[in-house]
Amino acid sequence: MLKFLNQVGDYAKETIQAAKYIGQGLSVTFDHMKRRPITVQYPYEKLIPSERFRGRIHFEFDKCISCEVCVRVCPINLPVVDWEFNRETKKKKLKHYSIDFGVCIFCGNCVEYCPTNCLSMTEEYELAAYDRHELNYDNVALGRLPYKVTDDPMVTPLRELAYLPKGVMDPHDLPPNSRRSGLRPEEFIDKIEQQRDGESQAKAEKA
Amino acid sequence: MGLMLVGATVGVLGSVWLERKISAAAQQRIGPEYIGPMGSLAPLADGLKLLLKEDIVPFKADPLLFTLGPIIVSIPVFLSYLIVPFGQNLAIANLGTAIFLWIALSSIQPIGLLMSGYASNNKYSLLGGLRAAAQSISYEIPLALAVLAVVMMSNSLSTLDIVQQQSGYGILGWNVWRQPVGFVIFCIAALAECERLPFDLPEAEEELIAGYQTEYSGMKFALYYLASYVNLVLSALLVSVLYLGGWNFPIPVEAIAGLLGVSETTPWLQVLTASLGITMTILKAYLLVFTAILIRWTVPRVRIDQLLNLGWKFLLPVALVNLLLTAALKLAFPIAFGG
Repeated sequence: MLKFLNQVGDYAKETIQAAKYIGQGLSVTFDHMKRRPITVQYPYEKLIPSERFRGRIHFEFDKCISCEVCVRVCPINLPVVDWEFNRETKKKKLKHYSIDFGVCIFCGNCVEYCPTNCLSMTEEYELAAYDRHELNYDNVALGRLPYKVTDDPMVTPLRELAYLPKGVMDPHDLPPNSRRSGLRPEEFIDKIEQQRDGESQAKAEKA
Repeated sequence: MGLMLVGATVGVLGSVWLERKISAAAQQRIGPEYIGPMGSLAPLADGLKLLLKEDIVPFKADPLLFTLGPIIVSIPVFLSYLIVPFGQNLAIANLGTAIFLWIALSSIQPIGLLMSGYASNNKYSLLGGLRAAAQSISYEIPLALAVLAVVMMSNSLSTLDIVQQQSGYGILGWNVWRQPVGFVIFCIAALAECERLPFDLPEAEEELIAGYQTEYSGMKFALYYLASYVNLVLSALLVSVLYLGGWNFPIPVEAIAGLLGVSETTPWLQVLTASLGITMTILKAYLLVFTAILIRWTVPRVRIDQLLNLGWKFLLPVALVNLLLTAALKLAFPIAFGG
């Protein structure tokens, strides 16, 4: 009889513990309700892509030497380099260059291996079209620069996490011209020089 | 009949919008915003989309059972709105056996679930239907026992009498103080009957895809969707009627009228009291819907064996003990626990 009562007591204690646990969980969920939503309300607010963002590829026609390294290094051999060898000047002449962005995986290998830096990645990711043949960009379309999100009057640009000041997690309502966390290269040099001066001063005082 | 349908539909529209907005707030996002002011036309958009979808009947499925399943699941839930009171004279029907009618109607649900699970010609739907029926049946008994304790205290099965018995003392007279365990049991069992998290194994998206609802699309799925939210609103309203004093204001209205020196039969006071009653019922139901949605995003899903364990091995004995205790207290203190 006593054992049974003990078991009932233990069970009741476990139940109360479980109820307390659920209560703590509910308080966490309720606490989330008073925080500002982190939604980026596209298309009225857009994130500013970071410097190394792998967006649409940009091509400079005049810099290309038709070496086809981009084709060999591409995982799917995508860029179409139309060149012919000019026997008089003994040079390759580039006639046409195209990349099909319906197939491209935006890995950036071609950009990394191009010897003349004629390929680079832009921050454009809005490539939607009604027909997949419109996604086959020729060298004229590849050479266009994208529209900056900060220039668009209909859009509030929001900074990504890496570009926010220290301790700030929310890009909404950021004061304009806030500095990102961390020092700039010039300030790093100043800091190192100051440290070296401090060290040499300490050494001089010791000696 | 028309009033009941209109009321239920308005309730569903409101609760779907509330669910979307509250879920979004709990997850630190915004939810529907541009469909209608504050996203309030979102449920209407949902309904329209489901109306316009193609109504598929799977290959080799039993067509009669497949169509009957959702109908049998939804009609009892809509019918139960007949007994929900919003005020002394503001119930659609004052039945002498109102609560009993609700429990009986909710027992028809497992038949519909089994029908749709079997008729979908899909082994996962069959399993989902069986699990859903098992869940529905297991949690009816603690539900009925908790209701029985309240009914024993109020000496009547009619919802109006139950609320009447709780009035007179303001917030201190509500059943939740006299039946705290019963309140908890009823809430858990009602959540399980509505198949909401943490008891939504039948439609667990990761486990059985959508359980017995997998093969449904278009209007039949819309019926299931509606029935789910109508059931939620109904359960919230019934919890507020049974345990939280229905349409009673925390301070008894007669006391306020006496303080102000106004007689109780003045017409404008009666209009005011009636609208106050409706507001209080809706407010209490909203509180419960809010808690249910919050629980959905807090608690993990229970497994089928844990679910059945909870229903049979925990809630049933506790509900029985609660009933015995209420009976004993009723005999010992007839003034407090219903004479």
